[in-house]
Amino acid sequence: MNTLPQQLANGLLLGSMYGLIAIGYTMVYGIVQLINFAHGEIFMTGAFGALTVYFYILPDGTSMALAVPLMLLGGAIVAILIAVGAERFAYRPLRGAPRLAPLITAIGLSLALQEVVRNFYPGADRARAFPGLDTTHDIGSVTIKDADIFLILAAVLCMAALALFVRRSRTGRAMQATAQDPDTAQLMGIDTNRIIVIAFAIGGFFAAVAAVAYGLKYGNVDYRMGFLMGLKAFTAAVLGGIGNIYGAMLGGVVLGIAETLASAYIDEIPGMSQLGGQSWANVWAFCLLILVLLFRPQGLLGERVADRA
Amino acid sequence: MTETTKPPAPDAVPTPPALRGLIPLPAAAARALLLAGGIATAASAFLAWTWTAEFPGDLTINGYPGGLQWLTFTAGVLTALFALASYGIRGLGWLLPARNNAPLVLTALGGFAVTWFTVIAISAELGGVVNLEPGGWIAAIASLLPLLGAFALPQEKTGTDGTKAALKAYIAKPDRIPAPQATSGWVQRAVITAVTIIGLGVFTYGIDTEYGELFVGYLFVVTFAMWALHTAGLLDRFSQLIAANRSFTLAMGFAAAIAFPFTQTDDHYANIGVNILIFGTVALGLNIVVGLAGLLDLGYVAFLGVGAYTAALVSGSEFSTISGVHLPFWASALAGAAASLVFGVLIGAPTLRLRGDYLAIVTLGFGEIFRIAVNNMDGDSGPDVTNGPNGIANIPDLNLLGFNFGQAHDIGGFTLGRFANYYLLMVLIMAIVVLVYTRAADSRIGRSWIAIREDETAATAMGINGFRVKLVAFALGAALAGLAGTVSAHVTYSVVPTPYQFAGSTPPNSAFLLAAVVLGGMGTVAGPLLGAALLYLLPEKLVFLQDKSLLAFGIALILLMRFRPEGIIANRRRQLEFHETGQLDVPKQTTLTDEPAVTKAGA
Amino acid sequence: MRQRSLVILTSVLTTGALTLTACGSRDDSGDKSGDSGATTLTIGVDAPLSGENSTTGLGIQYGAQIAVDDANKNNWVPGVKFKLKALDDKAQPATGQSNATTFTGDKTAVGAVGPLNSGVAQTMQQVFASANMVQISPANTAPELTQGKNWQTDKKRPFKTYFRTATTDELQGSFAAGYAYNGLKKKKAFVVDDKQTYGAGLAKIFNEQFKKFGGKVVGTDHVNTGDKDFGSLVTKIKNSGADLLYYGGQYDESALITKQLKDAGVKIPLFGGDGMYASTYIEAAGKAAEGDLVTAIGVPADTLPAAKQFIQTYKDKGYKGDYGAYGAYAYDATTAIIKAVKAAADANGGKVPTDINDLRSKVVDGVQKSDFEGLTGKVSFDQYGDTTNKQLTVYQVEKGAWKAVETGTPDDLQ
Repeated sequence: MNTLPQQLANGLLLGSMYGLIAIGYTMVYGIVQLINFAHGEIFMTGAFGALTVYFYILPDGTSMALAVPLMLLGGAIVAILIAVGAERFAYRPLRGAPRLAPLITAIGLSLALQEVVRNFYPGADRARAFPGLDTTHDIGSVTIKDADIFLILAAVLCMAALALFVRRSRTGRAMQATAQDPDTAQLMGIDTNRIIVIAFAIGGFFAAVAAVAYGLKYGNVDYRMGFLMGLKAFTAAVLGGIGNIYGAMLGGVVLGIAETLASAYIDEIPGMSQLGGQSWANVWAFCLLILVLLFRPQGLLGERVADRA
Repeated sequence: MTETTKPPAPDAVPTPPALRGLIPLPAAAARALLLAGGIATAASAFLAWTWTAEFPGDLTINGYPGGLQWLTFTAGVLTALFALASYGIRGLGWLLPARNNAPLVLTALGGFAVTWFTVIAISAELGGVVNLEPGGWIAAIASLLPLLGAFALPQEKTGTDGTKAALKAYIAKPDRIPAPQATSGWVQRAVITAVTIIGLGVFTYGIDTEYGELFVGYLFVVTFAMWALHTAGLLDRFSQLIAANRSFTLAMGFAAAIAFPFTQTDDHYANIGVNILIFGTVALGLNIVVGLAGLLDLGYVAFLGVGAYTAALVSGSEFSTISGVHLPFWASALAGAAASLVFGVLIGAPTLRLRGDYLAIVTLGFGEIFRIAVNNMDGDSGPDVTNGPNGIANIPDLNLLGFNFGQAHDIGGFTLGRFANYYLLMVLIMAIVVLVYTRAADSRIGRSWIAIREDETAATAMGINGFRVKLVAFALGAALAGLAGTVSAHVTYSVVPTPYQFAGSTPPNSAFLLAAVVLGGMGTVAGPLLGAALLYLLPEKLVFLQDKSLLAFGIALILLMRFRPEGIIANRRRQLEFHETGQLDVPKQTTLTDEPAVTKAGA
Repeated sequence: MRQRSLVILTSVLTTGALTLTACGSRDDSGDKSGDSGATTLTIGVDAPLSGENSTTGLGIQYGAQIAVDDANKNNWVPGVKFKLKALDDKAQPATGQSNATTFTGDKTAVGAVGPLNSGVAQTMQQVFASANMVQISPANTAPELTQGKNWQTDKKRPFKTYFRTATTDELQGSFAAGYAYNGLKKKKAFVVDDKQTYGAGLAKIFNEQFKKFGGKVVGTDHVNTGDKDFGSLVTKIKNSGADLLYYGGQYDESALITKQLKDAGVKIPLFGGDGMYASTYIEAAGKAAEGDLVTAIGVPADTLPAAKQFIQTYKDKGYKGDYGAYGAYAYDATTAIIKAVKAAADANGGKVPTDINDLRSKVVDGVQKSDFEGLTGKVSFDQYGDTTNKQLTVYQVEKGAWKAVETGTPDDLQ
């Protein structure tokens, strides 16, 4: 049996999730040059927001067709509130501070958010079941389930909407202007504080979409789910060219496929039999990143902002 | 940093009669209240505060303070001392050179904070205020008195702006501190010696605190006392003393570090000490990379790991894959440092051409690659090198010139346990690292690093080979971490992959190392050491919060950065930059705020 | 003026020094005054109590807590009150070692229970050995810890103060292999582990033993703890035609693997070790867990009244964490220490020896001679410090709950 189509599908699905989370990193970075390391935890709180809607707000037995949009809404509200709150109360006061200060804040925020969920969300000290969309479909040699279809649809729709928003809307263009030159943008009457808040909010929304897709796909969520996903998404954002929203999605997909293929096939290469399998997959993913950066230091699609290192 | 937000004062010590305090009281009454309150606070420590010894420290005995009561006592005495100094008592004038209110307010606040914290902790832990004896109530009231007195002192600016501005004025450092009288060299040295001894005592007390409540109280008192000394201008005076007697201070510092294990009877505290030193040494190495050269390294702990694994492999442990090889310590230390150096160059050479945050992600990737690789190299899912997750265990103790580090030794009546031995070895290594750091920082290459950090383009234009000096910084930092790693392998008897991760809940990991550098103060020697000590002790002492300890720690990180973003010990140069807009180190984002670019920190 | 300020400075210094020394002396006397009624002895617990692994770690802490409460309530050792001192090692070796020095430095501590992770145990063993203080791990399974590096050929006990109530990977892996081949009649296994000491060790033994029985291992893979997506692995398993997946590791990952496996249409059971034996596994995996199996030490808990009582107490007290995996082992480990203290007291005319070092060494001897019925069966230790309890039980998920399907020793399934 040829497993390649299935493995490519696995990689594409994983990568779409990375891409959705990476949008948050890349938008914030593009505008304030801040690596929001707590973004993975914003993704995590989005999942718990959605879980709350399903278990504590909706009546038992609500059909998934109705529940999923409401869960998206609940997750998005929580994630956006936390993202915007973090910006307002943790990052904004540090805007004039040394470059590394926000990084430490992000580490602290990350720990605090994880611990708040673990301590105060009922049953969150271990994995909590999440409703799934588990009906499977066989398309040729590829098996996918409803949750996978949801993920792909959500990723495509969200990307299209974001592209339209950034290109066409007034706020979107203000955003581009701020990313290119904040001083001039401000002089032109753009409220840059508002733009930054919006960037955080969009990141939070995309994280919540990814979180709901994650829950539907894997069937459970836990308070540590954001850490590794956040790290991978950040990698994806850099791989694609940080600051570039298309780059974030492309970086995510490339990273997801690379990881999956490495995990699946590296051990079949003669002489590499011991260096394959899932436990080495991250190593190959990072090697790919380093290689790409060596030959294309601005990432796959290039940065959108002027290099101001 | 608050002082910079104030416009320059017209002149020092103007005392127009219109001045009044926040709380309407005659000045004399306010001062008397302050003094009496300080004494009362100190005295209240001698009463029984609660009825049961359930609360740690046994605060049930009249006439003999215990645990947190000693901290209240200390704060009360400090308040009283400053109050006396404000009366102009001869001999105490040096405590308050600028005759400002801030030290009085802050010491009073310290006493208030520690006393109320204790009283609240008693009520919370034992379930209700009924657990307070009258003494507890008296202490709570007594510690409130000096605070009232302090805020009744006449102060400029009250009544003009809002209450917030008035409160700020109370704790502001004056713009000008009268210059101290010239003192002779031996007096200066005596003062430095005395301060070192007090410092060692205070630090030792902090490490030895047996329960978390005591440590929190200790942090209150120390923070407010240091803040008070800072606003009194005494810290500035002391820095001048240090600047004038550099090598003497350094020697005293190391003497104090060496003295630490001799003050301990329990090897546990030496164990904490050696872990802090290892963590601090690595943080200092990272400071070269981050603080001096301005390269953001998110995978630095891997170099510690390379050193530790190298030392373990040549230690003669039966679990080592090259068992039978048993190098003496000097050779394995060099091997560990050299291996780290090689890895540093290997990683740095291709990636240091990248700018800014791209380097961050590459180093993060390298850190993860290292951890995953050592976890897999067990002959099953990789080459047989590191024993994978089992690690290399049973690493024998060091034996230097017949001195076995694994055994307790009696030296001049003091017993030095196993960890005290390693502690002293780490002090030596720390001395080497500090030496390398200071020599490098003051040298030609150190200035190149700073130039690169400030503006790479300009530095390159001036003829600095940016790539080469960055590579030197990277390799040097790596080698120092590797050196610390060789000792850590012997201290813990084994090396396993788990500690060498990007972020975790306990040091060392790359995120904590970076936090130690930034928290303590980038580009300084003492900063990362202090940051490391704080980051090591906080999680260790917060265990009384049980499963909320990590939460508290996370919040503490956020708050520390919020109020002191340039670190506890700020580099002079950095502090200046931080408070001037338009400088290159302050990124362009500053213009995005509507508020003035200076932070509201300290508010 | 200058001189006077120096005088004041000196006096402040002296006061400060006196303060510090006074503080020290008071603490010592404080301990003594607390002894008026009964002697208080401390039993240490070291486990990860926060962050990763904390659910399992808290199960160890509260398992030990219940044992201490039982001892105090029933006055097992007359005149002695036991106190539990639980420290968090955060699954980090250096922290575990620091906790070990806390215990050995505590002049009321007689023994310690823990840790969870074998990597942490390695750094603690020597500390306890130097202090001649007993350490019983309820969870470590690496054979090297008790039988030395060459445990397969030349068993040699490295530390005589280290014991464990958990069984070694060797027994559990062999038992699982035997049951898979002879009981379940599975012939083609896919073996996965999480590259941790526990999981990798278990998977390795299973792999060897399963082949020895005549089964075929059609594929192996390793995952990382914290991984969430196992799509690639699942496709590999599907393609391999395996009829059983053996997983060495904890439930965090295996619950996700079994779910993704069944969702992909691969309806083969997942078989694991006692690290997965918890209700959380079933809750997290949902319906996908149905038919999955684990091995766990001892006879089924519901056949022993004491074990039922333990589970009831744990639930009634509302303790956090998961007692399923190691709570009962922790209870037995703590009880072994308490019984050893009692033996030391009995030999000393009903009073515990006052010299702590004497007491500690007697407790080490006492634990070595342990012989009582615990929650997991008979508790006693062989010459290496391993439990002699070789009873293992296979549990299977049936209608959303673990159900015992086979009990025996590895030899029964040869």
